[in-house]
Amino acid sequence: MDAKLHTPEGVKDYLPYEAAFKTEIERNIETVFYRYGFLPVSSPTFEYMEVFDGNGGLNPKQMYKFIDRDSSLLALRADMTPAIARIAATAYEEKDIPLRFYYFENVFRYNEHYQGKLRESNQAGVELIGINSDDADAEVIAVSVNSLLGCGLKDFKICIGQVQFFYGVLEEGGFDKEICKKIRQHIIEKDYIAAQKITENSNAPDNIKILFKEFPLLIGGKKVIERGRELVNSKKALDALDTLENIYKILSEYKIDKFISFDLSTVGLYYYTGIIFRGYANGTGFSILNGGRYDKLLQNYGADYPAVGFAIKINNLIMALEKQNVIVHGEKPDTLLMYTKDGRSTALNASDELRSQGLNIENSLFGDDLDKNKRYAKSKCMGGILYFLNSEDVRIINLEKDTVSDVKISELLKGEA
Amino acid sequence: MEYLTFALAKGRLADKTMELLEKIGITCDEMKEKSRKLIFTNEKLKLKFFLAKATDVPTYVEYGAADIGIIGKDTLLEEKKNLCEVLDLEFGKCRFAVAGKEEIREKLEKSNDLRVATKYPNIAKEYFYHKKHQTVEIIKLNGSVELGPIVGLADVIVDIVETGSTLKENGLKVLEEICPVSARMVVNPVSMKLQSEKIIEIIKGLSKVTEKNTVK
Repeated sequence: MDAKLHTPEGVKDYLPYEAAFKTEIERNIETVFYRYGFLPVSSPTFEYMEVFDGNGGLNPKQMYKFIDRDSSLLALRADMTPAIARIAATAYEEKDIPLRFYYFENVFRYNEHYQGKLRESNQAGVELIGINSDDADAEVIAVSVNSLLGCGLKDFKICIGQVQFFYGVLEEGGFDKEICKKIRQHIIEKDYIAAQKITENSNAPDNIKILFKEFPLLIGGKKVIERGRELVNSKKALDALDTLENIYKILSEYKIDKFISFDLSTVGLYYYTGIIFRGYANGTGFSILNGGRYDKLLQNYGADYPAVGFAIKINNLIMALEKQNVIVHGEKPDTLLMYTKDGRSTALNASDELRSQGLNIENSLFGDDLDKNKRYAKSKCMGGILYFLNSEDVRIINLEKDTVSDVKISELLKGEA
Repeated sequence: MEYLTFALAKGRLADKTMELLEKIGITCDEMKEKSRKLIFTNEKLKLKFFLAKATDVPTYVEYGAADIGIIGKDTLLEEKKNLCEVLDLEFGKCRFAVAGKEEIREKLEKSNDLRVATKYPNIAKEYFYHKKHQTVEIIKLNGSVELGPIVGLADVIVDIVETGSTLKENGLKVLEEICPVSARMVVNPVSMKLQSEKIIEIIKGLSKVTEKNTVK
């Protein structure tokens, strides 16, 4: 293999069509983010590994690590949430609460399964820091739904769960610490059968055994909450179900409840302490969005603020948009600029004027060979050619309608042509 | 309405699966005909089926090319994909084991320079490194693993054992048990959420049928 001709596994190039598509959907998402009052933040591409590693965090094996000159251990940005938690905890005070941040960053992970096998993936996300309430949770979910809608995605679901439900169930089951760890690991790996087999052979009460049998089925509408209530007695678990129901009520006031369903079968990343949610869309086998409440994470960085947030996996979202045939108009040149020697100075000034009016104009570098320019403009799907004949006259060649008309430059700039 | 797609492992597992599915009213007549088709459809129930090499089934389901897969736990353990494992179908039962000649038993217990031949390097590694905390050298073979210890390529093998008769005929025996194995129903995590009603109905149906089978 000639390495200089290839990219390594898990990273990719974006050619103009794809890059423009990506830019456009990021722009749509960003609009939703700032319309809800979130502010942009950015963190370094690499930082001390401990930022991502703190408190039983991400497995260091999943990170791209290297050693700095002073021999400290660094890692490429592996997860944006800890980085923002660090920023919020160190740069802000109580009086600044609540903090609303958004970001567009790339994230690097060795983990194959994380993002459709990409090792460098793009994420867009928000974090709402400092408030623990159902309203804050619902707001963040609403932002996620509106972001997807803003991109033109229609066929998707946000599935909401609550990790405290699971912890309540473990308590009620009376499992010791080691067994809890095992069960949790199996549930994270979605090996529901292994979890079921452990509980079946334990001294857990019958209702908990039945619950583990039904665990993977606790997905869907409101009846999931009802079924949950029938199966557990733990106050912690019941409170979690109340929270979910209340958040659902708020989301129906946002009028987005049709995109929401419940999922009690998921546990999520280690740092989640409350609701967790994921977005799924027809057309991709992977989730397009992950989020949840993480009230203890900021303690790692010396502040005690609760927080909730989510990240959209841009690469998976692009896959879903393409599969659902959503048309996204990325920026591209719409007009080709041609001129004779006499027309050049006018052409350059007039075209800048038109650019400021919103046209995307590409200067032709083929001189005044009209046929060549026409072929080129057509191959790039441009709408037409502006051909500056001299300092006063311009020929408008409309390639869509196949018409030609000559006008004065003053008329062109007034938009009358 | 969306089709629900099943990926089945070619061979005995697929036949057994179709038998089981028939009991809950899921059939595919197209599959019974002799043809060179790769994909079979039941238009009435909006179902599709295809047969794939066992080791590829988890991949099809992980990418969402199939919503549901029926596959042995052995393949799942080896391939380690991001799938929802929702039902133990209780057939295709066997176990993973370490096998070899009786005289190797002592070396198997103590040595840090044991050679292990297997078709399942990940499972072998998981067992020796994480469960037994023993450093070993793993040699990947693609078939007739029993040859390994006989011709001196390896000390022991890690393989699926059903009755143990192949081992016995070749002068080998099970030395250590690793874990039991049976057929599993796996579901793509996205399908599980987006088509939950249809899929849950199938899981519930199959779980009733398998329970009956186990009782008798």
